[in-house]
Amino acid sequence: MHKVAEVEVQHDIMVANRKLARKNQRILDKDRVFSVDVVGAIGSGKTSLIEAIIDAVDYKIGVIAGDVISKYDAGRFEKHDVPVVGLNTGKECHLDAHLVEHALHDMPLKDIDVLFIENVGNLICPVDFDLGSHMRMVVISVTEGDDTVEKHPLIFQDADLVVINKVDLAEAVGADDDKMVSDVNQLNPEVQVIKTSLKTGTGFEDVIGAINAFINDN
Amino acid sequence: MHELSMAQAIVDTVLDAAEKNNATEVVEVTIEVGMLTMLNPEQLKFLLDVIVEDTLLENAEIIIEDVSVEIKCHGCEFTGLANTDGSDHYLTIVLCPECGERNVEILTGKECNVKTIKIEKSDEDA
Repeated sequence: MHKVAEVEVQHDIMVANRKLARKNQRILDKDRVFSVDVVGAIGSGKTSLIEAIIDAVDYKIGVIAGDVISKYDAGRFEKHDVPVVGLNTGKECHLDAHLVEHALHDMPLKDIDVLFIENVGNLICPVDFDLGSHMRMVVISVTEGDDTVEKHPLIFQDADLVVINKVDLAEAVGADDDKMVSDVNQLNPEVQVIKTSLKTGTGFEDVIGAINAFINDN
Repeated sequence: MHELSMAQAIVDTVLDAAEKNNATEVVEVTIEVGMLTMLNPEQLKFLLDVIVEDTLLENAEIIIEDVSVEIKCHGCEFTGLANTDGSDHYLTIVLCPECGERNVEILTGKECNVKTIKIEKSDEDA
């Protein structure tokens, strides 16, 4: 004889990730490391932006480089002589708190001040996965189309800093970068939006300033 | 494809609960999926059906319940169901139905919750 019973489980998978994320933040706080989750589409310029920041600032940086496959981005950061942990997500389209926790174990946290976590190129799936970083920077570029913000609103609602990159190409690709700024502001009136071009240097100092402001407030 | 990792996490959660309750089989699993998660319920269900093979929930009925989006508007203090056009699970625009403001706090709609399971257990354990 068997009997059927109903069991209340009430286990939210999203909450479980958020709990792991808070654990990551405690690990970082213990060694006084400020962390930035860098999210953006493929080709928006995340890697180049982080590389430029590494070269421009005098605090010690570490990088967790998330890629679906390959260590290509990790290899780029290593050339800047900073500690790098490459994370391959394999079939997954985002980093999650659990993967980042593993990477934190391999990162010399005592020797760094700021940790950049470069997420996989994607504006959709990372929305669901808090990593435990102190701020989230979303990087998009005009070449992805000036409707990018409208098409992926949730990632901008949670952003702490938004960078609209490659503005030197806006005219060439027929994109209205002012519209992109205004779209972000509508979704998230509090967030700072900076137009940049790493080619011309436009806005780059403002990005450094914004990150510094977050570090000082933390 | 984060449906696969979510499906695996769901199965792990169900198996854990089943084992703690001395289940001999899981016959039903009810999962709540928020309309604002970046999860496609059909893909999730398909993947669950694949990965439950050879587990206690191999023959379980998987029920996925949508969770509507409830918001609190920072513009007019409206609290309640958001305007969603209902046509697409990937819908992500949330507007205050009262004043049209987009600066809203999301109260529900982002969950992926294993709500209940129905299990079979032997009489000695029941």
